[in-house]
Amino acid sequence: MGYDPKNPMVGRITDLGPPKYDKFLPPVILNNKGKWLYHEILEPGVLVHVSETGDEVYTIRVGSARLISIEHIREMCDIADKHCDGYLRFTTRNNAEFMVDAKDKVAPLLEDLKSRGNKFPVGGTGACVTNPVHTQGWVHCHTPATDASGPVKAVMDDLFEYFGSMTLPAQVRIALACCLNMCGAVHASDIAILGVHRMPPMIDHERISGVCELPLAIAACPLGAVKPAKAEVNGEEIKTVKVNAERCMFCGNCYTMCPAMPLADPDGDGIAILVGGKVSNSRSAPKFSKMVIPFLPNTPPRWPETTEVIRKILVVYAKNANKYERLGEWAERIGWEKWFEMCEIPFTDKSIDDYRLAYDTWRTTTQFKYTSHIK
Amino acid sequence: MSKHDTPLLDELESGPWPSFVTDMKRQAEKKPEVWDILGQLELSFKDKITHWKHGGIVGVFGYGGGIVGRYSDVPDKFPGVEHFHTVRINQPASKYYSTENLRALMDLWEKYGSGMTNMHGSTGDMVLLGTRTENLEPLFWDLTHDLKQDLGGSGSNLRTPSCCLGKSRCEWACYDTQETCYHLTMHYQDEIHRPAFPYKFKFKFSGCPNDCVASIARSDIAVIGTWKDDIRIDQAAVKEYVAGNYPSNAGAHAGGDWGAFDIEKEVIGLCPTGCMSMNGDELVIDNAECTRCMHCLNVMPRALRPGKEQGASICVGAKAPILDGAQFATLIVPFMKVSADNEFEELIDFIEKVWDWWMEVGKNRERVGETMQRIGLPTFINVMELDPLPQHVKEPRSNPYVFWKEEEVGGWDRDIKEFRKRNAM
Amino acid sequence: MALSKEELKEKILEKAMKAAKPQLYVKDFYKCDPETKPRAIKNAANELVKEGKMTFWSSGSTTMYAAKGRAKDEEGEGGI
Repeated sequence: MGYDPKNPMVGRITDLGPPKYDKFLPPVILNNKGKWLYHEILEPGVLVHVSETGDEVYTIRVGSARLISIEHIREMCDIADKHCDGYLRFTTRNNAEFMVDAKDKVAPLLEDLKSRGNKFPVGGTGACVTNPVHTQGWVHCHTPATDASGPVKAVMDDLFEYFGSMTLPAQVRIALACCLNMCGAVHASDIAILGVHRMPPMIDHERISGVCELPLAIAACPLGAVKPAKAEVNGEEIKTVKVNAERCMFCGNCYTMCPAMPLADPDGDGIAILVGGKVSNSRSAPKFSKMVIPFLPNTPPRWPETTEVIRKILVVYAKNANKYERLGEWAERIGWEKWFEMCEIPFTDKSIDDYRLAYDTWRTTTQFKYTSHIK
Repeated sequence: MSKHDTPLLDELESGPWPSFVTDMKRQAEKKPEVWDILGQLELSFKDKITHWKHGGIVGVFGYGGGIVGRYSDVPDKFPGVEHFHTVRINQPASKYYSTENLRALMDLWEKYGSGMTNMHGSTGDMVLLGTRTENLEPLFWDLTHDLKQDLGGSGSNLRTPSCCLGKSRCEWACYDTQETCYHLTMHYQDEIHRPAFPYKFKFKFSGCPNDCVASIARSDIAVIGTWKDDIRIDQAAVKEYVAGNYPSNAGAHAGGDWGAFDIEKEVIGLCPTGCMSMNGDELVIDNAECTRCMHCLNVMPRALRPGKEQGASICVGAKAPILDGAQFATLIVPFMKVSADNEFEELIDFIEKVWDWWMEVGKNRERVGETMQRIGLPTFINVMELDPLPQHVKEPRSNPYVFWKEEEVGGWDRDIKEFRKRNAM
Repeated sequence: MALSKEELKEKILEKAMKAAKPQLYVKDFYKCDPETKPRAIKNAANELVKEGKMTFWSSGSTTMYAAKGRAKDEEGEGGI
């Protein structure tokens, strides 16, 4: 018996929660939970974990686009059924992991993955460019300032050699958020690609009464730039809002609460690049990513301006940072003025904070380095 | 649904990284509405703007979260995506699946949805991308009855908790992140499914300070494993590293030309507290000075392990930039035992104390980290009935304007006449 | 003395029907009974949704309440 639209409440079940995790752990994982001694990356994308029981689990990590079809997931299941006793897992960075309990099962699995074209790239371990975390963009989001899957595909095509190798000073985590809301931990990434709006919202006076609660739209603005106003629609005076464009910081919060205030624009919107963030507590404390490029245009389908500057930053980092040093740790060691000079990125007033808490970022010491910025 | 020309998207079919365009075209052969997703996305690539709009009321009956309403703003051109609501399915802890379960979920989504997914959303849910309003109730019925599974959170709810893989496959996990995540998810089903708060609220569970689920950057309560006693050292393994027999950093740098491993430079020299040294060929750690950053353990996993007295640090108040700028979570409880033996009693008490305060004083659409900023960390620590600790701050305040309370200075009532007797105008 | 649950639900529903703005945050209901804890108020409001007398409206990030039929939506077709 299935859903009965005439009696939707009869037999309804709620609040079941997720299935308990231990149902889905492969036997070698279940048997050795809490007993692992150490791990090693045998080659890019291939890890071994060794247990105090002597058991070993070999993990093959493969990248995915995150936006994937049920056909693709079924193919992953086929692989897991064939090689991994019907289990697999996903990582927080959109990779899939196939696990086997013996070394001799690794080669056939790698062989199988390789035979399936470019669908299952092996890598994403160690000192590599890890799989980007990203948001929805134009494929599903209603407030994006750029696409997500498109720029990520373009960037990863360009940096592919770094996904399947471990040649960098440390891991480089790239993330993309398609607007300033920043779904995901984009604000603490080595390289963050961020969609930005630059035009204040338009106001659709004809639609606003039908779709908006005006007090919500007014309250949504963190800078008090949205005010009550009146307008004439078809000869009648209606209540609406106005926007003080000088005060607008283009966050789009009003549009989230009121669809009659769209702010997206083909040329107003684009991409900002922020770098030097990290989440791990290893060596230095977690850091936010810092804005180094305030705007690049949206240039689908391959965003060449964005891919070019990311490669540039990555190559300079790879050449100059010390072993273990994350991008932000390197920038802090050499000083940001040096960083801009070495990466040949113009420094603009947009990289100087003028929002709340800005003072924390201003330099209040006479210690600095002479770089080409000082004429 | 007819096929649309997608010349811009077609350019994303080349290149070595997996192509979502190729994947969607493959899916469209079986589910033709995917042609309309591609068609509308192509239009966005051409127009450089989104063609989705938001729908606020859609959901399954009685739940205030789990479904995010979405409509096309060009439904005449792309009727297959006229409604395109998102369904968030609460993922199993650490995202392990049996293929049996995953196939059943895919069959469900083939029946009721677009055929496209995100594995996974940023918060951790399995995200099923795009279905019609009239499919939501039947989908939910089959999900709960046939699969015995449930939706995740959205809106002003407790968002779907998530965790790293923890003890299941990691030697560094200092508590069982999976069990903690599962237990609290089950304990707070009501808060996940029905709005409860001034705004969203997130828990994340990381087993060690490497923080693989980025809890300190994005969760209102971050539970991050740590330890209290001494790092366990296997001196024989230290010698193997020094001799170059074990790869440094578990092989993570194997592709680079970094020369021979140098323990002085790579471990002792990079220790942020300088608490390590060599005594002959033995590694010495002054554990009282250690801040448990994980660097030395990361570099020599076969030689060094976390101490045996394990628990977690609890940090509160992280959020993404919107609206006053991003915040990391602030250390509130340096060390807490996190154990299933007492059903996580201490952690649950802590969580509910935070909620009771935030629900009372938090403004609408204000994350708890912003409420903490607005009201002040001293007040928050006081409300949590904790002693103020130097560990709560990076450094003591330099600003002298302390908000003294009346009782702290022996009362504020004074007599101006008495004062004037001694001090003329 | 705090109101009984049924009394509280009545007050909440009355507020949701009469408020100048149709969509309300859960905090807007706190005033219905200052002696009841926020969590109990939230539970009472959610029960009214369960009974079909109120509906949720969600921006995706925030959720609000409205008396049935009063919430505004892009599609204006009400959902369920």
